[in-house]
Amino acid sequence: MKKFDLELAVGFFLIIGIGCLGYLSVKLGGMDFLGSQGYELEAFFSNSGGLKSGSAVVIAGVDVGRVKGVILDNYEARVSMDIPHDLKIQEDAIVSIKTRGLIGEKYVEITPGGSEEILKPGGRIRETQSPIDLEELISNYVFGKI
Amino acid sequence: MTFRRLMMTPIFFFILLFFSPVVSFGGTPTESVKDTTDKIIAIVSDPVLKTPEKKEEKARLIRAAVDERFNWKEMSRRTLARHWAKRTDQEKKEFIDLFGKLLERTYLERVEGYSGEKVLYINEVVDGKYGIVSVKIVTEKDTEISVRYKVKKKGENWLVYDISIEGVSLINNYRKQFNSIIVRSSYKELVGKLREKVGK
Repeated sequence: MKKFDLELAVGFFLIIGIGCLGYLSVKLGGMDFLGSQGYELEAFFSNSGGLKSGSAVVIAGVDVGRVKGVILDNYEARVSMDIPHDLKIQEDAIVSIKTRGLIGEKYVEITPGGSEEILKPGGRIRETQSPIDLEELISNYVFGKI
Repeated sequence: MTFRRLMMTPIFFFILLFFSPVVSFGGTPTESVKDTTDKIIAIVSDPVLKTPEKKEEKARLIRAAVDERFNWKEMSRRTLARHWAKRTDQEKKEFIDLFGKLLERTYLERVEGYSGEKVLYINEVVDGKYGIVSVKIVTEKDTEISVRYKVKKKGENWLVYDISIEGVSLINNYRKQFNSIIVRSSYKELVGKLREKVGK
């Protein structure tokens, strides 16, 4: 009887362990089992600067959503974002791709607009700002000097 | 055969003319931007206006040319963003005036410093009532500056509501600055700061 208790305890422990592992891998992998909880918006950038799906979407420094995908569309980067349902994005909002720190990861920042027109799910944010290419700026500066 | 071909040519051109996108009075976005740019270049290169006594007149003429092409109300609305709706009509009017003057103060000197830079019209994208005109400014030292004019159709005219220089949007820049001032202190403070800057 005593032996059975021990085996049961180990079994439970193992199951809980596996459960934790599963939860962790889902959480860390950024997977969504229940589907997304928000709606999708898209924006076109002339340069995505290496933005990846899963990158953060930020308003006023607060994480509000995720980048769902970055694909090439007519030689432009089409970025789709997952935005929570209760967050309204105006038609004249501006999206820019930014870098954390000087060489950190890329994220998307939305600067809210003031238009009364609210973007519908699947809508497009028209005003975009691609990341600043430091290399290009430097080369412009360097070669401009000659 | 030759006769038929001869007959077809005018018909073909007629059809082309008929179905080509109607060139309205406002023209295309590029034509609109080019028209204003040419006007301003003509003013700044006019030798008669180069004397110091004519400085004010020159500034007035440039401002008039810019006013024709810029939608100041739209620009102000976009810069103030979510703070715009909270303003009274009087405040809106005042802000439009101040913002226009701020841009005038910031950019007039640079425009007046024009020294034969070439303006190349690279591309134009029209999407409904919105359009983007991509321009390259080539300086004498052969440095290229890429500028994008964002235009919106108002009536028959394409009016500028934002300018991106090297990919940095003017509206976004001011929107962030103004928002942080308003959030930190108040709208009154922003107006005070603008007045101070413009009045100097």
